[in-house]
Amino acid sequence: MAVKFRDYYEVLGVPRTATADEIKRAYRQLARKHHPDLQPAAERTRAAERFKEINEAYEVLSDADKRARYDAVGSGYKSGTDFTPPPGSEWRTSTTAGPTEWEDAADFSDFFASLFGRPAGRGGRTRRGGRDGVQVTIPGSDVEAELPVTLQDVLHGGRRRITLEGGRNLEVDIPTGVRDGTILRLAGQGERGVGGGPPGDLFLRMRLIPDPRYRVARDDLEMDLPLWPWQAVLGGQVKIDTPDGTVTLRVPAGTQSGRRLRLRGRGLPRADGRRGDLHAVARIVVPERPSAAERAAYEALRRAAEAPTDQPARDRA
Amino acid sequence: MSASPARATVRAEVRLSTAQLAAAADMSRARLARLVSLGLIDPPEPDTGEFTAAAAARLRRMLRLRRDLHVNLVGATIILDLLERLDRLESELVRMRRGVNQ
Repeated sequence: MAVKFRDYYEVLGVPRTATADEIKRAYRQLARKHHPDLQPAAERTRAAERFKEINEAYEVLSDADKRARYDAVGSGYKSGTDFTPPPGSEWRTSTTAGPTEWEDAADFSDFFASLFGRPAGRGGRTRRGGRDGVQVTIPGSDVEAELPVTLQDVLHGGRRRITLEGGRNLEVDIPTGVRDGTILRLAGQGERGVGGGPPGDLFLRMRLIPDPRYRVARDDLEMDLPLWPWQAVLGGQVKIDTPDGTVTLRVPAGTQSGRRLRLRGRGLPRADGRRGDLHAVARIVVPERPSAAERAAYEALRRAAEAPTDQPARDRA
Repeated sequence: MSASPARATVRAEVRLSTAQLAAAADMSRARLARLVSLGLIDPPEPDTGEFTAAAAARLRRMLRLRRDLHVNLVGATIILDLLERLDRLESELVRMRRGVNQ
């Protein structure tokens, strides 16, 4: 596994002759600019990578001893070229950890580990021959991600298999009653800590996939209820599909378009254990191709109509 | 000796008790109560006494800002409020641009 040389001076944007104060100043400025928690949600992950680099560079260059060792081996290398650690450095001695363990063990790069060693992980793995290894403890970062959920998940809960960066798989139980934007916390499932630091948390933001049939309005659901004109005028029973199955709904005579018929307790689950309502919104649909008999009936209706004007008033439309 | 694929069903929290949030923020319950009374953290829901997981995410973010950038917690809340506003405005902008292009 080839290790690429990292130019820490380049990362911090300082000359190799920089004083300790200049290095500290450069670090503070970069930290303010690239801190992941200062970035908009979409750019946080990328910023976290950059921030790690900056911290690693500062970890080395802010410590006189580490800086001296880095300068001693590093003067002949250019950034990004293959790096061969000098004999006796950590790369050679800490062979107990397999490559897979190394990759997910810490926030620091393999290059850093090849020079200064890898701090012991959480699982009691101890570093051998830690002549002059670092003993820093850094908590793992929190990770934020979006999780698309369906209305079915909201109503009944669900289980989702997610793959995190680095290939780790998790099965997440989505509790009943989440909403678009609800945040779930998975304690300890964020990035691993360094040097025995605790792992970060994983926060999943629920993104509700729009349902083709039901619209969500706070705790309530809303659906269209298409009615033929005669159903709207005369009233009657219609079967509708609710999320809980088919129910028969009584449509009152004289139902106007836009009227909301409420089905109590058939909306979304709430925190108090009750449920919101389902609203069926009447939408009157006229037959596009009436049969000859229908047409005759409508013509008879026109003759029989007692409406005072030839057009309904605007406020009735 | 390849690591077995880590795959476990993980319990997800939507709400946290005071004790859970205090643990998530690595602070005492008394200190947490003080931060609530100072208005730096949204109070728990009145009927259940529980905090949202969103409050945990936010509080941990505040503590990181303090640790890494040396701002105090009041400063951190201001930063996060402004960032949230920025996020909202940006998504609004995306929506509006989409509307214009259609």
